[in-house]
Amino acid sequence: MMRSRLTRKRPRFGGNSWLLLLILAILGVSIWVMTPSGTSVLHRQKENLGLRLGLDLQGGISLGYQAQFPEGTEDADKADLIKITANRIRTRVDAFGVTEPVVQIQGGDRIIVQLPGMTDRTQAQSLIQQTAFLEFREVEMNGTSAATLKDYLDGSRADFFSSGVSGTRVFAHAVSVGEPVASVAILKRNESGVLEYLDGNGNALDTTTLTDIDRSALSWMPAVRTVDGQTVVLTGGNLTKAQATVNTTQAGATEIAVDIEFDSIGGKVFDAIAADDYGKAYPQNMSGIFLDNQPVSTPTFNTSSFGGKAQITGNFEWNEAKLLAAQLKAGQLPVELKVIYEPRTVSATLGADFTHRAFLATLIGVLVIGLFMILYYRLPGGVAAVVLLIYATIVLAVYKAIPVTLTLAGVAGFIVSLGMAVDANVLIFERMKEELRAGRTLKAAIDAGFNRAWPAIRDSNITTFIACGILYWFGSSVVASSAVMGFAFTLAIGVAVSMFSAMVITRTFLLFFFSGSRAAKRLAWFGVQPKSGVVGDA
Amino acid sequence: MLNFAARSHHFMRAALIVIILGAILAAVPGGLKLGMDFKGGLLLSLVPNEGITRGDVENKLSALGYPEAADRVQETEDGRFLIRTRDLSEEEQQALKDGLAETGTVDPDESGYVSAAVATETARNAAIATSVAVVLMLLYITWAFRKVPHSIRYGTASVVALIFNLIVTAGVFAILGRTIGWEIDPMFITALLAIIGYSVNDSIVVLDRIRENKARGIGGDYDSMINLSISETLVRSLNTAITTVLAVLAVYLIVGGPIRSFLMALFVGIIAGAYSSIFVAGQLLVMWEHGSWIKLIPGASRLQRNKA
Repeated sequence: MMRSRLTRKRPRFGGNSWLLLLILAILGVSIWVMTPSGTSVLHRQKENLGLRLGLDLQGGISLGYQAQFPEGTEDADKADLIKITANRIRTRVDAFGVTEPVVQIQGGDRIIVQLPGMTDRTQAQSLIQQTAFLEFREVEMNGTSAATLKDYLDGSRADFFSSGVSGTRVFAHAVSVGEPVASVAILKRNESGVLEYLDGNGNALDTTTLTDIDRSALSWMPAVRTVDGQTVVLTGGNLTKAQATVNTTQAGATEIAVDIEFDSIGGKVFDAIAADDYGKAYPQNMSGIFLDNQPVSTPTFNTSSFGGKAQITGNFEWNEAKLLAAQLKAGQLPVELKVIYEPRTVSATLGADFTHRAFLATLIGVLVIGLFMILYYRLPGGVAAVVLLIYATIVLAVYKAIPVTLTLAGVAGFIVSLGMAVDANVLIFERMKEELRAGRTLKAAIDAGFNRAWPAIRDSNITTFIACGILYWFGSSVVASSAVMGFAFTLAIGVAVSMFSAMVITRTFLLFFFSGSRAAKRLAWFGVQPKSGVVGDA
Repeated sequence: MLNFAARSHHFMRAALIVIILGAILAAVPGGLKLGMDFKGGLLLSLVPNEGITRGDVENKLSALGYPEAADRVQETEDGRFLIRTRDLSEEEQQALKDGLAETGTVDPDESGYVSAAVATETARNAAIATSVAVVLMLLYITWAFRKVPHSIRYGTASVVALIFNLIVTAGVFAILGRTIGWEIDPMFITALLAIIGYSVNDSIVVLDRIRENKARGIGGDYDSMINLSISETLVRSLNTAITTVLAVLAVYLIVGGPIRSFLMALFVGIIAGAYSSIFVAGQLLVMWEHGSWIKLIPGASRLQRNKA
């Protein structure tokens, strides 16, 4: 009795049981991947199940640039230049603190930048394109007192007071806390050696403007020292680090600043300047930090030795400080960039609860399809509905593990792949019904259903893969790329998993739970009207 | 069993008419409206100053030298004006924005720009992608049916069904473009490619059944065999179309908005795909088998009969 039972059961608990275990294991891993707890690297964000969302779902800015190479640039050089440019942009974007940005070279001369979560387009543009020219300046002396614009204009000077320092002079008042100050004028020696007054944008100032100008502004000259036999003008180029930070003042207030670190020669030059100016009378004891010829901050030296580190303060907003740090660190872009693609900011076109609606739509899609399957195919339909849920879990886990950037179109691709997963089941069940009507046993009908449906499932899914491949090419070749590629990728993964889900999971479940059980005798459970007595498990 | 094969020439004639009509609708200027991604240009979203009317904005645009843009000013629900121009250089863009400053402020986040070169390339690549996809489908299906005699007929039949689906979708969008101003964007091309991948499944399922029945010698003569194959797969074709359409509909109703044109294209393409798998792909095989192309011309069969 025992023996016969064992030998009867062995075939059913053979390969199929292992498959069932494998399926449960895959499901288990998928659920573990999707669970937003623990410290795994997969749980990068706890919201949205930790899925990586594209610009259209979480909002952000997308920009396309074309490099303007100087004429006669060799192709090999172009490739290098574009790589350096992309890397610098990446550095800036990272320094600004954008999470999961995309900086992508396309077609040899284009750069596509996507900045998820950023909302201010003007700021994004300046982050990518502009370089901040930071320089350190000192107050110029006219004998024992500080030189002012008045000293220059009244004396109709033909040369700088400190003739040893040749760079431009910027006329500006000292920056006091809480008040931004603009430079009044810039004095520059032009090509013919004549001193020329300019405004902040580099346009020449006419005599009327100069008559009415605020003449009490101090003259700031570049900070130059010779250290270790090297004459160095101290600029942002001497920085190795720039980072936004928050200070707490003694009064307990917070203040946003940028921490900077000099390279070795820069540190020495800065200390040499501090040694000269520390302890002198106001205004000579000030250091001037200028950004693109505008004073950012004019702190008084509080020590003669800084050891290569300093801080820029200047009424910053947090984003401004981050922007400045990013611009200081990344250096100049080697080629000029022209905007070629600037779509409307996506977040602006969508509601805030948009992601939730996308997830809700998916859920409703699964439910509606499941319900239809149960109503039409009864028991196998119910199995298919359960398999569909398992399918959705596995696919989402794959999206998360790779990770795939889910765009709106990607969600649609996922839903289309749901349709295809169901399609495979429909094909199989229709075949099964035919076989059952023809009087086969349930086990034989299940096997025949799967075997007969396979060529159609295979061929139709391969054509979908072909379409996905072409879509991926299309997506990678056009500027509006992310949505198209996202769709191709999600659909391809969905179709691959759907083949597995229909051919392995549905089949295993059907065989495991229903062959030989009472279900086999109830053809109505399979949506088949019993014809005559040719039914049942033989 | 429904006798599809006996009326194959009617179905094919209807399909031909739909294809020609759809192609005309899509090709005639003013039909398929190309969006910014394919045409290039500048889109400005102007938040008007107090008391500025649409006429003021139009006059300003004409005065600035953009009369064609003045004709196309669009007012949004929240009282902004959308202004579209051709591709402009950075200086021209700046001059235009400065000129518009009297009428209102340009909201940079709602504005957009696509250079003409990029647009041309996008349109070209979209055309390449779609044609390459169609040719690859033809080649793959011909190969997949290589064991059946005249496998090129199967490839052709599914590709004709495919072209039918694409043209119906394009035709519907031409009508939507004319009536409610829907534009074509890269997502529409994505939807077309998805339709290529998805709706060809329907034809393959029908053709696969024909392949199988033919191999097993089921169904008697060619016409009956085709009829049987179509009838056997009819329920599946409808069920699949229904489930997918339900899913797409759910997304359309809940998400809609920015991808509604994408979803609409899928919606139309899936329905067209279910139709063409029954009434185009199989019927083409029947006509090809009998070589009775003359029947496509209305009245030709009567003429022949009269002669006889």
